[in-house]
Order: sequence, then C-alpha cells, then structure tokens
Amino acid sequence: MSPLELVDGRFDKLATELRASRPAASEGLRNRVEEFARLEPEPRRKWGFRLPARRAAFALAALAVLGSLLAAGVTGLGGSEPSREARIVHGGEATSPSSEGAGALTVPQVHGVPYPRALDKQDSLVPQATRLQRYDATLRLRVKDVDALSNATKRAMNLTRGLGGYVASVEYATRSGRRGGATLVLRVPITNVQTALAELTSVGTILRQQTAILDVTRRAERESRQLDKLEAELAQIKEELASGSVPTGRRLQLERRAVGDRLALKALKAKRARLVRSARLARIVLTLTTPTEQAAPSPSRFDKTLDDAGAVLAREAEILLYALVVLGPLLAIGGVAIAVGKAQRRRSDQRLLERA
Amino acid sequence: MKAKASAEDFAEAARRHLDDVHAFLVYLTGDRAVAEDLTAETFARALERWHRYDPRRGGPRTWLCQLARSAALDHFRAEDRRRRREGRYAVAELRESAEPVFGEGLSPALERALAQLSAAEREVVALRIVLELDGEGAARVLGISTTACSTRLSRALAKLEKEVSAGVAA
Repeated sequence: MSPLELVDGRFDKLATELRASRPAASEGLRNRVEEFARLEPEPRRKWGFRLPARRAAFALAALAVLGSLLAAGVTGLGGSEPSREARIVHGGEATSPSSEGAGALTVPQVHGVPYPRALDKQDSLVPQATRLQRYDATLRLRVKDVDALSNATKRAMNLTRGLGGYVASVEYATRSGRRGGATLVLRVPITNVQTALAELTSVGTILRQQTAILDVTRRAERESRQLDKLEAELAQIKEELASGSVPTGRRLQLERRAVGDRLALKALKAKRARLVRSARLARIVLTLTTPTEQAAPSPSRFDKTLDDAGAVLAREAEILLYALVVLGPLLAIGGVAIAVGKAQRRRSDQRLLERA
Repeated sequence: MKAKASAEDFAEAARRHLDDVHAFLVYLTGDRAVAEDLTAETFARALERWHRYDPRRGGPRTWLCQLARSAALDHFRAEDRRRRREGRYAVAELRESAEPVFGEGLSPALERALAQLSAAEREVVALRIVLELDGEGAARVLGISTTACSTRLSRALAKLEKEVSAGVAA
C-alpha cells in the first residue's frame, strides 16, 4: 500500500513527480560519507553499563521488592525463636527453700503467663516433716467457662475433704451466665499439701501461684520451754503451799502467783496449740476465674514468622510511604518540569521549522 | 533481528541510505549546500553513536533520519541566533537561487510550491512521499503520533497542490 493511499488518492500525480525527481547526493558528498563508512564506528564503552531507562527502572523496582521480601523473611525467621525470657518462664520451677531460716520464704512463680502443664509435686515448695512450718499458698487459675468453674470448685472442695482437710470459706459468683469466679480458702494437712497443689493446678490454667513457708520450729520450742518453766514454777508453788508452814502473807503472795501462772500457762498452751495447728494444716487460697475475653491461642512458629515478616513489610511500607510523601511532590514537580521542558522544546522546534 | 549493530552494518547503512538522508535534508533545509554539509554531519554523528543504535527499535534509515533531523534543528537554531544577531534572513536569500533545489526534473511550479512550504511541511512530505517511510517510522522521526503525522501530511499536500495550481495559473 502506497503511503499516499493512506491520505488521499488525489495526490498520486504529485507524489509520482516528487519521487521521480528526488534529489541525489553529489559525488563529493558520496566520497565524504564513504570515508566515514571506511572508519571503525566508536566501540561501546566496556565499563559503561547501559540499560534502557525503562528496563532499568523495572529491574530496580524488582530488586527493591525482592530485597524487602528477603529482609522481611530473614527478620521473620530470626525473630520467631522463642525468647530467653519465655524459656525461663516456661521452664521455671520452684526452688527448694532452706529450712534453716526462721523467716518466710516466698516464691512468686508465674504472673499472668499460663503454665504449660499442671504442677508436679516437686514444682512447689516442699514442707519438711521434721519441722513445724506454716505453709501458705495462693493459686489463681483460669477455667474455660462457667460450667468448668462450677466443676472445678466442687472438685477442689471434694479434694480438700478427701485429703483430710476442710474448706474454710467459699465465695462463688457468676455474671450473665458467661463469666464468673470463685475464691476458696482451703485447709489441707501439711503432709498432703503437695498432692493438693498438684491436683488443684490441674483443674485450670495457672495464672499466678505464690507459695510461702514460715518455719515456726524455734518459736514452738521457745513456747515449750516457757510452758515447762511455768509448769515447774506452778508445781513448786503447789508444793510450797501444801507444806502448811507458809506464813499468811507469803501464802497470799504464792496463791496470786499461782493464779497468774495458771492463766499464763493456759494462754501459752492455747497459743502453742494454735501454732501447732497452723503448722499442721496448710492454707491454700484458690481463686478460679473464667476468661474475660477469648484468649488467643499461642501462635505457632510459622504464625510468628509470618507476623514478624508482616511487621517488617509494614514498616518498609511505612518508610516507603513516608519517602513518597516527602519526595512525591518534588518528584512530581521534577516530572512536570521535564515534561513541560520537552513540550516547550518540541513546540520551539516546530515553530523553528515553520519559520524556516 | 540482530540485537547489536556491527561496523559492517554501519558501512552498509551509510552506503544504502545516503541518498535518503540527503534528500530528507534537502527538503528540510531547502538548500543543497547546507543539506550536503548536514548529511556529512549526520554520518559523522552516526559513526560516533552507532553503538547506541538498536535495530529492535526501528530500521537504520529511521534512526539516520532522526539524527539528520536533530542536526538540521541544530543548524536552524544556529541560523536563528545568527539572524537575530545580524538582523537579516540568510535562508530567505538562499531560496532566491535560480538553481533547482528539490530535484532535477521537477516542474518549476512544483519547485516554487515546495519552496513556499515551511520546513515542517516539507519534512513530512519528504519522509512519507519521497522516502516512502510508513506512518509509524515517519512519526517516530518527527516525534509525534501517527495520527498527527497523517494530518500534517494531508495538510502539507493540500497546500502543495494549492500552491502548484496557483503557480500554473499565474
């Protein structure tokens, strides 16, 4: 198809004449150009890495995306290792207390981090059978729902009774049939406290556990000595009064001392009985609660990797967005300036050609 | 199609398209002497830049015509500056030569009509009619769209025909 047919058939004659009379290069020009043709064209610079601008932009963009994905992946994989802190918490076990100290030994174990399993007998403080020790334990457990709360409460009470203890108090409350809580104060024979704790921790997820032991052996021994002393004194007073040769003033004085010693002996006995009883029965405060909201399952390593990678990507997107916000207007102005410059140059060339 | 142009390709392209480049520049400048100089300048530039030529982006003739147009524009700019500086119109004086410019054997009416056209009009006639480039190639040389190229050609030919008719009548 002739180029003219694309425009108009009327110009065929004109076109034929123009083509037939096209100017030809002179011999002199032909020789000049022939000299160029004999020369070696300038070679491509070896060090020059020339890539068309559009392809270079695509390649750079692809590299940037690849790099950001790689960084996100590496960071995600690296960051998904369980932290040292988490390992310590999960593996944390109660240490055995020194039984020599007379002071309280308190071991808070978990604060809001669920234990992966119920406590073994070795996990909590172990009272010594040969010494008098006060044992206080506080347990906060989370159960699944209100039904589980009720079952756990009943189970704790039965368990306590089964181990020879008793339930000192129970507070149980539910709200709107979906949430609830119970607080039980349990007294369990100290010989069975480990069994009790092991069983109780299995009814729910441990949110908090605190155990305290107060060694009262010396105090009991001191009170025993005081008792012995008082009993001996009382016996001596009785013996002296029974002799019959005691003057009236002395008798009255001895009788007053005997009354005082009896009262002190009674009080001391009661006190010691309380001490022994408190050392015989451990006190366990058990708090059961339902979750306030659906607890999220612990994320797997894959999920954590994805989360970390996602976080890195989000951060990169944030930086990119920030760069775009800052540089965008400048780039837009630059782009517009280049486009306007090109258009002006084209118009200027066109005007120049129209004038020529 | 080869991706890279070799030295042999340049020699071949120079010999094969010399007349095309020269004819295009004659039409563009309306001056044979200037066209000859610009043709030589075009091939000198082509020799320097031959490693940049990518056959995938068009034939060597299109590429050489782009270089020729660029050389001509540089010439026009220089002339424009000179005319402004000197306050006279050298190109107009040259056009008044009695020698045929646009080709041997052209009718005097067509020769005069071509001289009446602007360089912008003559260049599209040269590319599409004389060199018989297709619309896409011509548009690429001119740096415009194919549609704009067709429109420009149609107007240039209509004006040329009108000028020829006016010349014959006179």
